[in-house]
Amino acid sequence: MKTKSPNQIGPLLAIAYYGLRAQLRNRATLFFGFVFPLMFIFAFGFFGSNGQKITIGIAQNEKTEAIYQDISKIENINIQKGNLADLKKELASGKLSAVLANGDDQGEVKLLVSQASENQSQVVQSIVSGAIAQQNLALSGLKDLPINLEVEKVAGRAFRFIDFFLPGMIGFAILATAVNNTAFGLIFLKKTLVLKRIFATPTKALTILLGQGLARVIVALAQTLVIVAAGVLVFDFTLIHGLLTLLSIILLSLIGLLAFMGFGLFIAGVATDENSVVPLTNIIVFPQFLMAGTFFPIESLPEVLRPFVNILPLAFFNAAIRKITTEGVSLDQVFPQLLGIMLWSIIAYIAASRTFKWE
Amino acid sequence: MGKISKKAQIQVKNLVKKYEGLAAVDNISFEVYEGEIFGILGPNGAGKTTTLEIIETLRKPTSGQIEVDGLDILKNAWEVKSRIGVQLQAAGFYPDLTLVELLQMFAALYKVKIDPLKILKKFQLEDKKSSFFQKLSGGQKQRFSLATTLINNPKIVFLDEPTTGLDPQGRANLWLEIKNIHKEGKTVIITTHYMEEAEKLCDRLAIMDRGKIIKIGTPHQLIDELLKTGFRREREIKKATLEDVFLNLTGRQLREE
Repeated sequence: MKTKSPNQIGPLLAIAYYGLRAQLRNRATLFFGFVFPLMFIFAFGFFGSNGQKITIGIAQNEKTEAIYQDISKIENINIQKGNLADLKKELASGKLSAVLANGDDQGEVKLLVSQASENQSQVVQSIVSGAIAQQNLALSGLKDLPINLEVEKVAGRAFRFIDFFLPGMIGFAILATAVNNTAFGLIFLKKTLVLKRIFATPTKALTILLGQGLARVIVALAQTLVIVAAGVLVFDFTLIHGLLTLLSIILLSLIGLLAFMGFGLFIAGVATDENSVVPLTNIIVFPQFLMAGTFFPIESLPEVLRPFVNILPLAFFNAAIRKITTEGVSLDQVFPQLLGIMLWSIIAYIAASRTFKWE
Repeated sequence: MGKISKKAQIQVKNLVKKYEGLAAVDNISFEVYEGEIFGILGPNGAGKTTTLEIIETLRKPTSGQIEVDGLDILKNAWEVKSRIGVQLQAAGFYPDLTLVELLQMFAALYKVKIDPLKILKKFQLEDKKSSFFQKLSGGQKQRFSLATTLINNPKIVFLDEPTTGLDPQGRANLWLEIKNIHKEGKTVIITTHYMEEAEKLCDRLAIMDRGKIIKIGTPHQLIDELLKTGFRREREIKKATLEDVFLNLTGRQLREE
């Protein structure tokens, strides 16, 4: 008769606790887990919050003065006055979006734009031509215009880059931690024979893996909280329903983590040492990091790619977390995405169970 | 020595372990008696570690029966694991945990209460209690490893090449520790490729090569058997060895790099 395996709760907690302690003493964990995502958020958060600044250089004279009066009232447009030669230089070097100067003929103003920035040129052109049209109208003395444009502002939440970027950053951090940390961590513990030594004690193999997993889940959840906190405190990131939204984020992160850890486990099984881990984690993490909606929406990818990118595990996760953070929905309303994540995790864990070895 | 009861505490019968068709352990059988120090001797790759790790329930045998303390290891892995103490050939400890933390972790895994400082003191490691495992010297690592092996007060202790890489002082010190463990009445199984170690420590030896056990006996029996064949050393043995000279000149005190 087989003897019953002893109660595994104590050993599980011991493995998780001491695994966590060892991880927190590891500088690489701290850097890649916390500093790295924060660096990204700060870099892109500040970049994104300003949007694209448009600066128009104006060479001063009577003709441009009237237009200057008009466009200087427009928000988000900077004006830089100066002489034409200097302004031209700045335009060429990309510091100015356009330069407004005297035309060659009477009654002509000239707008110099840079070939290098197509988008900005068009924005400036429409702003300036609008201003000129107004001037022309005023000069012609026409009253009771046939068509009038009235702009009405509808109340709404300002959607800023951070609102798009921060959830994507959580997705990336979860994926990277789950895959890299699990794969590198387990290979390291295999190589240093820590796993084997623990396996020599009356501890189940599954307990060892779960304990290690639990330690990593705690690190990754702390990571999510740090990212959200940085967003809320520094960039005024809004949690639509406050704590409820935060709770949804944490629960979703937990689901994502457990799913993505399957890939880490799979790599730890396939790889023989740390060197062979690197290309494998890169194959799984980087394409998703670049394409699956971390930095820009998947809709901006070429149409042929979209169907493939949309079914990547991180794409499901990012779609779900954005619905939660920007639309304020609860977890049950992102069921299709959760299903997608679950299918991937089943694939990953089946693959992992076939490859994982203790020796 | 001498007072070894002939009760077999470990019985290995027809053990085979194959890796991709190649037999790392090729049909070996032996017994280890209660309270003895049993040595498995052999060159690298002879199958010593594989044999040990199968008995320790860390690897599954391809075929064969093994009983440890009366228990079939395949059916009672849990019970076997809690009755034995295992020292792996290399480390096996989180490099970033302190010695006290590591001892506490193993105590939790074995579900025993311990006094970490008392254990460290016993192995002359009390001033290293807050050091990380990775900061220890080779000898300290092996002593600490031995300390964790005894946490659950095992009946049988497995030591896989415990003195490999140690300087003569470290080795002499570890021999003393192993003899102390033996004095407490524990059965010790040790692998080594140092003949002197085998001769000094072991009550009985198995000599292994290419997955097979070639000979089993006490060191004296094995030597006498060889002498009977007419074998003579080329040079007359002196009353001391070079190791004795070295230890006499440099002292037996432990050195820590």
